[in-house]
Amino acid sequence: MNQQPIKLGIREYVSIAVLMVGAKAMEDTPAMLFKQVHNAAWMIPILSGAFFFITLFLLLKTLSVFQDKNLFVVIQLLLGRFLGFIVCLLIFLIFSFAISIDTRTYTNIINTFYFNTTPKQVIYALLMAVCAYGAKKGIQHVGSVAYLLVFYAALSMALALFLSTQDSNIQAMLPIWGTGKLEIMRNGVLRISTFADFFLLAMLIPLLKSNKEFRKGTWIAYVSVIIQISVSVLIFICMFDNSLEGIGYPFHTAIRYISLGSYIPNIEIVFFVIWILAAIIRFTTLLYIIAMMFGHIFKIKDFEYLIPSLAAVYLLIGSIPESTIDVSLKLKLYLTYTIGPMLTAIAIILWLAALLKGEFKHAKNKNSM
Amino acid sequence: MLKIRIVCKLLFLFIVVFSLTGCWDRNELEDKSYVIGIGLDHSKHEGKIKVTMLLANPEVGSIQGGGGSTEKPREIISFDANDIIAAKGTANAIISRIITYDLLKIIVVSEEFAKDSNFFNVINGVINDKEIRMNCYLAVSKEMASEYFLKNHPRMETRPHKYFQYMVDHGIENGLIPDSTLFRFFKTTDRGADLFLAMYTTAIREKSPEIKGEDEYMAGQLNATGEFDDTQFIGSAVFKNGVMIGKLNGRDTRAINILDDTTNISDLLLDIPNPFSEQNQSIAARIMKTENNKVKMDLKGARPKIFITVPLKVDIMTNPSMVNFVQGKNRQILKKHMIRHFEKINEDLLKRTQTELKGAPYPLSLYARKYFGSIPEFNQFNWPKSYLKADIKVKADIEIVNYGKIVKKPRKVKG
Repeated sequence: MNQQPIKLGIREYVSIAVLMVGAKAMEDTPAMLFKQVHNAAWMIPILSGAFFFITLFLLLKTLSVFQDKNLFVVIQLLLGRFLGFIVCLLIFLIFSFAISIDTRTYTNIINTFYFNTTPKQVIYALLMAVCAYGAKKGIQHVGSVAYLLVFYAALSMALALFLSTQDSNIQAMLPIWGTGKLEIMRNGVLRISTFADFFLLAMLIPLLKSNKEFRKGTWIAYVSVIIQISVSVLIFICMFDNSLEGIGYPFHTAIRYISLGSYIPNIEIVFFVIWILAAIIRFTTLLYIIAMMFGHIFKIKDFEYLIPSLAAVYLLIGSIPESTIDVSLKLKLYLTYTIGPMLTAIAIILWLAALLKGEFKHAKNKNSM
Repeated sequence: MLKIRIVCKLLFLFIVVFSLTGCWDRNELEDKSYVIGIGLDHSKHEGKIKVTMLLANPEVGSIQGGGGSTEKPREIISFDANDIIAAKGTANAIISRIITYDLLKIIVVSEEFAKDSNFFNVINGVINDKEIRMNCYLAVSKEMASEYFLKNHPRMETRPHKYFQYMVDHGIENGLIPDSTLFRFFKTTDRGADLFLAMYTTAIREKSPEIKGEDEYMAGQLNATGEFDDTQFIGSAVFKNGVMIGKLNGRDTRAINILDDTTNISDLLLDIPNPFSEQNQSIAARIMKTENNKVKMDLKGARPKIFITVPLKVDIMTNPSMVNFVQGKNRQILKKHMIRHFEKINEDLLKRTQTELKGAPYPLSLYARKYFGSIPEFNQFNWPKSYLKADIKVKADIEIVNYGKIVKKPRKVKG
């Protein structure tokens, strides 16, 4: 890109972040949470949010010292060339794995609930093709689309949840501590990976207007996403009660159940369209950021051209697991349990490195001068 | 150059538009046969079930003001199959169109099969199906389900999906049948603590049924004469852990629907014994339930205590003994009498559920949950067992909001 690209505003950035992380409430995360702690599952997003706050706070603090530099640049500056390279590669690999598994999960949902006879490969390929096309267009376009979409997404989600409350019972959230306080704490720690995507968004810093906007936007998105996930999990618990354990994708089961009176009974398609748009935004952004990482690690300047080939690779990796059960019960679980601690460790190491190198003092001196 | 680009773009658009129809999941209304009702019965063959399908013809009645085809509105087929899902394929040997469960409204199970321990395994297959929606109703028929669909010949609503929808909706509003969707069935069974009520229905009228109170009938006992369809929906079948164990008549079902806050009953008409006259002339009243019940429990002792307060609003519709309701004294008598009547009915019914059905007939265990800190504690308390010992007190909080159109004392007719 030779001409000066238009930078992302705070509203586009917040929309992207909300759609990316908020989408987790609409796939299999609620059911996975319920499996461990039963009716206290709604507390987990809040708790993990609180735990991940530390990680995110340290990361943002470290990044704020380096104005307009993205995560990978900062990592390499702080950890040196060799160590920085390894850490960057590790982040890249783990998120590559994550995107393959997540896209596969979404393909499964589409295949199970909406297009039963269409071959999975075709749906998968289409999804990846659309995402690659969107990512190729650049993050500015993705941002505008996200901003257009975020209100519809929020509105349709709120409507679906509101209609779900009509058949739910608030007493299902009791006994309040679920399977026990200790278990809740343990899962709260394990599940911090729910918010791991915020880590990735730090790659976008140079594309934003200023570092201050990035920090402000991150906090806005962070709080709203925590509330959104927690509330939707709570409503699913109240609606499905113990059955939630057996339901893979509660959002899709719920929208198939709810109706607008007896005259407009089957309305899932309205929610499906908005859901899939949100999913596309999510993967488009992910793909773009990952391509950016790749470009940075291997010093490729025009990384946009990498996007289609990366998408093809992820499509192939995602097609390896044979069935849904492998994906959501095994692979996703491993990923969830490794990604959270790893990112926290990286954030703490970065902060320590910055502290020991005296970067915070430098910045202070610079400001006072 | 510009022209070529525009043409290329237009061509691309056309291709995109064509792809919108899809290739694999393309559906044609003409080509589909929608199953509205499924019947499940015992089969004479080992390890099989008898599946009955009620198929609606989507072409009938879809055009306003007639002019549609002269085809029949429905088709019914019964055959032996291993399960409901694979039966779809088998049925295509007879039915020319693609069979789908997308619009399935009702699953009817014969009483005999519902009592079989194998029933839950069969119905559980529904969860995995991608087409069946959880708001489909579960009903129990007195006769074989295959017979039930054959006998059921609605006169006015020939389109089966409309017939079942209206019949069930209004039955639930009147409280005569429970709101027994598959969603509630699986939810209750998964919870495992309470009983589940499914609507009871039949298409065969009893030969000479006795005349009872306005809602004390079971399906098939209402002795109506005239020109109509024989199908009746009234009363409920009781399920425990997915197996049918008993029946409740229309009155009991109504009482439970009033106690159960998770169902939507609008308002019901019923007769209340007359406190002003020795003769058996009862007062017709309209009962409205606008607020939720208040349930308090004391679960500490050896014998748990449960206090249920039911707030009701009542409209008095008739005044057979010509009482002057302008006098406060008469109003007090009526109110006290109604409170006693409701409390007695409900307490008797709940006592019967403890001794005969051995379980709470509606999600009462939900109210008990708040007294426990965590699930292990609640499991230790063992609700299904504790309920049987519980001392249940029902308090009716009745507010008579209307005494009818006439406030003045009506004139007595000498006779």
